Amino acid sequence: MALGTVTESESDVDIRPDRPWVCVVWDDPVNLMTYVTHVFMVIFGYSKEKATELMLKVHNEGRATVASGTREEMERDVQRLHEYGLWATVQRDNEF
Amino acid sequence: MSSFRKDDAGKIHILFTSQESHVLINLVEQLIELLGGESVLQSHSSEVWGHDDDPLLRLLGVTGSDAPPDDPVLRRLLPNAYADEQSAGEFRRYTEDSLRQKKRAHAMAIYEALIPQDEEWSADKPLDRGSIEVSLEQTEIMVWLGGLNDLRLALAVRLGIGENAPNIKEEHQKYELMKESDPMKAVYAVYSWLGWLQQSLLDQIL
Repeated sequence: MALGTVTESESDVDIRPDRPWVCVVWDDPVNLMTYVTHVFMVIFGYSKEKATELMLKVHNEGRATVASGTREEMERDVQRLHEYGLWATVQRDNEF
Repeated sequence: MSSFRKDDAGKIHILFTSQESHVLINLVEQLIELLGGESVLQSHSSEVWGHDDDPLLRLLGVTGSDAPPDDPVLRRLLPNAYADEQSAGEFRRYTEDSLRQKKRAHAMAIYEALIPQDEEWSADKPLDRGSIEVSLEQTEIMVWLGGLNDLRLALAVRLGIGENAPNIKEEHQKYELMKESDPMKAVYAVYSWLGWLQQSLLDQIL
């Protein structure tokens, strides 16, 4: 991601056995950090704090799990993230 | 350079110079064409491209193609949703069409905001149209952010951003050092401007 300041953080995405699929967002050198944060807030309804944490995780670690749920739910989320130009994929939550 | 501003009522405005709107219109037109909608500019119809005239497939939004696009810009704008190719292809068959439509709609919204109504705009016209004011409704903010972002992604692929330089700073220096005659330097200037523009819109809402 481009621009912005970087701090350390942890995410707290809800991953449970009944939510076997995850949506992963990957870092890219183009999307602005504040833009990625805003997209997370709009698409997932996350607070600014949580959205910022996830954005920083993407930025610092190269990727972050931003949501979990059924496969259909995750496909819907990935589709919406693609609409706004984020680089996202669906996978089972044990594929990392 | 023009930037987005919020008025006392909380509404967001921007006043583009004629040159800025000229650049933006050109870019958005190219994006719409790339996404497969040359005809959109004339007819605003989404039915005229992409399908093999199969009404059922059209109804279901199935493009019939499960292969990623050949064009690297389109591959970035319409990326794989799965790491494994089979799942990615399956998903693409059912969703790429609507993704293209969404992105075209974002680009069209920018295009229409910059073209005075009922005016036939052409790139050949002289740049004496004056400045253009655009006001954004709340619902239009994400549309503009998404559209501007797609333009940045498209230019970034053409520029090879992230491929050759390890970080943004070195990337920037690489283009700063380029000769004025290098066309990529001008492309990079536009790319930087779009980032600045997008940030100025984000600054109004965050």
